[in-house]
Amino acid sequence: MSATSTAAADADLVIAETRRKRVKTLDLIGLIATIVTLIVAILWAFPLYWGVVTSLKPEPDVVQPGLHLWPEHLTFDAYTYALFGTKLGLWYINSLVTSIATTVIVVIMAAGAGYAISQLNFPGRRILWWMILASFMVPIQALIVNHFILFSQFRLINTLTAVVGPQLLAPVTVIIYKQFFDSVPKDFREAATVDGANDFQLLFRIYLPMNWGITTALAIITFIGAWNNFLWPFLAVTAEEKMNITVGITQVSDAFGVKYARDLATAILAGLPVAVVYLIFQRRVTQAIMLSAGIKG
Amino acid sequence: MQHVELKDVNKRFGNFDAIKHLSLGIEKGQFCALLGPSGCGKSTLLRMIAGLEEVTDGAIYINGDDVTDTPPAKRKIAMVFQSYALYPHMTVRQNIGFSLSIAHVAKDVADKRINEVARMLQLEQLLDRKPAQLSGGQRQRVAIGRSLVRDPEVFLFDEPLSNLDAMLRVQMRFELAKLHKDLDATMIYVTHDQVEAMTLADKIVVLQAGEISQVGTPLELYNTPANRFVASFIGSPSMNFLPVTAGNNDGLNATLNLKGSDAIIVKTKSPLAKSAGGDKLEMGLRPEHISVTSADDASASIKGSVSIVEQLGNSTIFYVETPAGQFVVEEDGAKTAKSGDNVGLVFDKDNIHVFGSNGLTV
Repeated sequence: MSATSTAAADADLVIAETRRKRVKTLDLIGLIATIVTLIVAILWAFPLYWGVVTSLKPEPDVVQPGLHLWPEHLTFDAYTYALFGTKLGLWYINSLVTSIATTVIVVIMAAGAGYAISQLNFPGRRILWWMILASFMVPIQALIVNHFILFSQFRLINTLTAVVGPQLLAPVTVIIYKQFFDSVPKDFREAATVDGANDFQLLFRIYLPMNWGITTALAIITFIGAWNNFLWPFLAVTAEEKMNITVGITQVSDAFGVKYARDLATAILAGLPVAVVYLIFQRRVTQAIMLSAGIKG
Repeated sequence: MQHVELKDVNKRFGNFDAIKHLSLGIEKGQFCALLGPSGCGKSTLLRMIAGLEEVTDGAIYINGDDVTDTPPAKRKIAMVFQSYALYPHMTVRQNIGFSLSIAHVAKDVADKRINEVARMLQLEQLLDRKPAQLSGGQRQRVAIGRSLVRDPEVFLFDEPLSNLDAMLRVQMRFELAKLHKDLDATMIYVTHDQVEAMTLADKIVVLQAGEISQVGTPLELYNTPANRFVASFIGSPSMNFLPVTAGNNDGLNATLNLKGSDAIIVKTKSPLAKSAGGDKLEMGLRPEHISVTSADDASASIKGSVSIVEQLGNSTIFYVETPAGQFVVEEDGAKTAKSGDNVGLVFDKDNIHVFGSNGLTV
């Protein structure tokens, strides 16, 4: 064996050894990262677990000293009460009606507004766009008092219309649609125009169907946001039969004092539909959050 | 009456004049190519005929009707875009039938029409596919099918072959030529490729900076270019341009003095003034109108040295350096010479073009 080939073989051995050491270090780092992530996940999920477990305990067992990670006596009494002893069913229906109405109206209006600003040429288009962008920076809490005065002047307080109304202001949705329509190549619009399509047909037969994913994603997060909304529905509605689920569950604790199992059972039932929606559509939700994060960034 | 007529059409974008005082007539059934380099206004002109761009001044007529302010859908035109613009979420059937569904044509009538077009373009097996599942040539045919189904007066093509590879481009050129022959329809075709224009068009309109440089049949533009721009744009390889000075002139017989060569006597289109002696002109000669011979051949117009040889099989391109400048010569594929060889060049004097300092053919 020549001197040159021996030196080359030695160099290969050194490189292989360095690689092995690097892989071992990366494995160790990966292991530590996994363990840390697991610990954080457990800490994050524990309150949820604790809530579910507590809701399955009889009320006296809830305040027993000591840490009981599993109920000694498993019972669904709290859930039974929440479902049949309160107006939970009615609140679900109210939440469903207001969330669906908000979702449908927001998506249609935002798609139309986004299309108009993106594709049409009309006086004031640029100013309108800047106003929508500016409104995005105004938090809803700053408008709460104005909304209340407006809806009370229209005598709409304590109606589902009042719950839905302010939720229709959705500049994020308009911005996302506008950006999407801007990205569609001009040729599609021109081809459809030559084919005889008007603007409504362009929007509903060409632009929106090109990517139903965006509409689905926006509809899902609008629905989740509308379902979870608390502040405005709490102010706009005082009659129990008009409350949605997020406001209704506060009535349960107010009426009967602090009954932890019942409170938690009601809260879990309140959040369950949205949790199920999220689990089914989590990819779309992530997509929608990333779309809106792009704007905020 | 011309089938498509443009009368003194202007298009301005802000302070920029994209199209300037353009008048053009296209006869029924004619295949007219709008040819020119990027930015010359050919696509803008096509889009104005389609109604996708507003006309700043002037008028456009289709079949005698003033369509200047008519929406695109009502002009009885159909357009094939460079990118094809096939709706990605629709099947081939839905793409082709889209205009019919917009017009609320009865389903059975629409289906019959779609099937006819699909048969004509061999798309029957592809009707249920989406554009993403098609090859470039298939998408092209679907785009053409979408135009055909409208039964328009005029077909407009905006560089439809530019996204295809070379082999497919040749094949689709044949398909387009066949389509034109079968339909005998008026077609206006935008391209920057002079080969496409020469092979497909009955009439070529060469555009430069928003104005018409020359209008004519392919052979008219090739054999008698009106100016240096048309001469340089048409023909591949491009025409050779060499600086010359005018010598003694006698009517249409002009004497040209080319550096390193004896005086060359050529016939011009119009007589050079006797006082033009000494004027700087340009001599144009196509590569195929020059022959390579031995350096000591007495008939050689000029001598030079071969710098590069490109062998294409059926022809050979020689790049020859001479005292007057570089000549590009196209010879038969069997002709041999190698880099560094001293050669003589024989000019076909009947095919020498002379251009004045204003770029116009003399």
